[in-house]
Amino acid sequence: MRTDFLQKPLDFPSEEMVFESLAYFGGEPVLPYDNRKTNFPYITKEDMMQMLISIQHDPNKVINEFAEKYRKYVGANYAIPTASGTSSLHLALVGAGVEPGDEVIIPNFTFIATAQAVLAAKAIPVFTDIDPNSYCMDVSQVEALITDRTKVIMPVHVHGLPADLAALQQICDKYELKLVEDASHAHSASIHDEICGSIGDAAGQSLMADKNFPVGGEGGISFFKKEEDYQRALAFLDESGIDYSMSWIAAAFGISQLERLPYYDAVRARNAKFLSDALADTELFSPPYVPEGCKHSYNMYRIKLNPAMKGLDDLEDYKVKEAIQQLIMEEGVFAREWQNRPIPGHLPFQNKKGFGNQYPFCLNDTDRNYQIEDYPNTLAMFRNTLTICRELRSPIEYERIQSYALAFQKIDKNPDKVRKVVEELGAIQPPYERDARLG
Amino acid sequence: MDKSTRFQISFVLSRVLNSGIIMSIEKNEKEIKGLESAITKITKLPYVSTFNSYTGALHGALQGNDIGHGDSVTLSNTTDQEEKFIDWLGISNQYVIEQDSFERFSVNWQNIGSFEEELQQPSTLVLDFTELGFGPCALMATQDNRIWEKAERLKIFGAFDLRTMWTQEESHPDLQPGIQFNYRISPLVAACAKLSLLKRGEMVENRFFAKTT
Repeated sequence: MRTDFLQKPLDFPSEEMVFESLAYFGGEPVLPYDNRKTNFPYITKEDMMQMLISIQHDPNKVINEFAEKYRKYVGANYAIPTASGTSSLHLALVGAGVEPGDEVIIPNFTFIATAQAVLAAKAIPVFTDIDPNSYCMDVSQVEALITDRTKVIMPVHVHGLPADLAALQQICDKYELKLVEDASHAHSASIHDEICGSIGDAAGQSLMADKNFPVGGEGGISFFKKEEDYQRALAFLDESGIDYSMSWIAAAFGISQLERLPYYDAVRARNAKFLSDALADTELFSPPYVPEGCKHSYNMYRIKLNPAMKGLDDLEDYKVKEAIQQLIMEEGVFAREWQNRPIPGHLPFQNKKGFGNQYPFCLNDTDRNYQIEDYPNTLAMFRNTLTICRELRSPIEYERIQSYALAFQKIDKNPDKVRKVVEELGAIQPPYERDARLG
Repeated sequence: MDKSTRFQISFVLSRVLNSGIIMSIEKNEKEIKGLESAITKITKLPYVSTFNSYTGALHGALQGNDIGHGDSVTLSNTTDQEEKFIDWLGISNQYVIEQDSFERFSVNWQNIGSFEEELQQPSTLVLDFTELGFGPCALMATQDNRIWEKAERLKIFGAFDLRTMWTQEESHPDLQPGIQFNYRISPLVAACAKLSLLKRGEMVENRFFAKTT
């Protein structure tokens, strides 16, 4: 039987490690080579028992039980469980009343599913740049992008930080638009204790294995505030014939995993705070920005680099980022790029094939020329940030998060070594000029 | 669901869970590959693509055959759901031509042992495994690598997989993705379908009857 159990305990790290040679240059890594894996989620006897109980029931009953329990947890009025986050976003948009040829305003920095869900609704994605601090949709750009065809604004709670929904709601009220949340990174994230997914007119959320709240593999869920939007989404499922059903196996895992979601959230918040406090004591690294009243769910943890604070601002920022990535990886911390190109620069939005024969792009008179240069804040973010992905969202041990903090502190003490690695890099391209990555 | 079907599902699922396959996206990639190769062995069609629903696999077959919005397809004996879905894709069904564009077949616990004998030797085949009871699960199998490549690019987690870190760069313009859906099947569901196919129903039943008789 294969096991995910991490057999080897991690030693308590010593603060003296920050004064040792960097692993890249032959020193001892903060995290040993054979102890870098993290495990998520925890699979326990409760999961097995829930599965054995669920086998005895009608599959739809299992799926409905899951959806109802999670809907109540989120505080949404209506919910439709789906096969994936993409399909949940599609249903949220259709429920909100998006029709072929409509326009939906979304941020350019997100997972490609956000934009593909707009296309699935046969609508046209219109992209904003991001706020340089929150990395969420730049609200100040939204009004200028609204046209007669705009139907929905769909912000993304990027990495788990809630977007500025209050400001966006004001714009929606002014122009009679619907607000749809892409809450795929934002399980349990909240604004003034209102949980993401329940705030807008509708929401879509991924529940795949890679998310803070995973079901058994692939899954998603749509939320609706009004019954008419919920009914419109249900009617669409019937009229289109499309099968977006969740597997009951995934739902069964969701039922038992939901019980421990608050535990996962608490451990992640604890770990994020520990790391943020440690990074705040460095010059080279800044932790994620979290506005007052917002609860970040830290599906990902994006670290900003400050080369100027170490006299490295004569170097190209993306080369400094690349050098630090190499150095931190050698220390055993998987801080890396999460995406490298604005979504409008990806092939499906460059070639505009859509469903075939340029549909639905051909429905819109405005010839939108998607150019990555239109999103300078996103390009800057790609050049000077690194992201910790699943490693932090695992309920990792205290000694592991201590080690992560020490690894960053160690690099902070070695700016000359960062410079040396940059000089060895030679000619490399900025991230967004390389092949587009989805993750 | 009858008692025998429930037993089959329970048996397969417990075997899969006991193997340590639970979830995650990378560790169990081989379960999806394993399902694809099981289908290749049975159907003799070398290129197989998995989907998380029958309509997804149908969409994959259409995409693989370059049939998109504004185009037409020939499919006979269509269900109400198939008609609705094809219509939603903006594709019209031509009933006048005799030859179907590709074959569709539903696998269940009654025919899983020998369903390949009922096939019409198609070059492209859509197989629906949803009736096995593990959740929506379907595949597209084809003789033609180009059809497979195009179908894979319909999936967000398709040919550009985790091992390549989803790099979306394509040297062949006709292979570039347009609309993409997350048609990715859960590895756990794929593992259940794979085990069911490997046992072909018979061994599970024989063991059950051996213990009860």
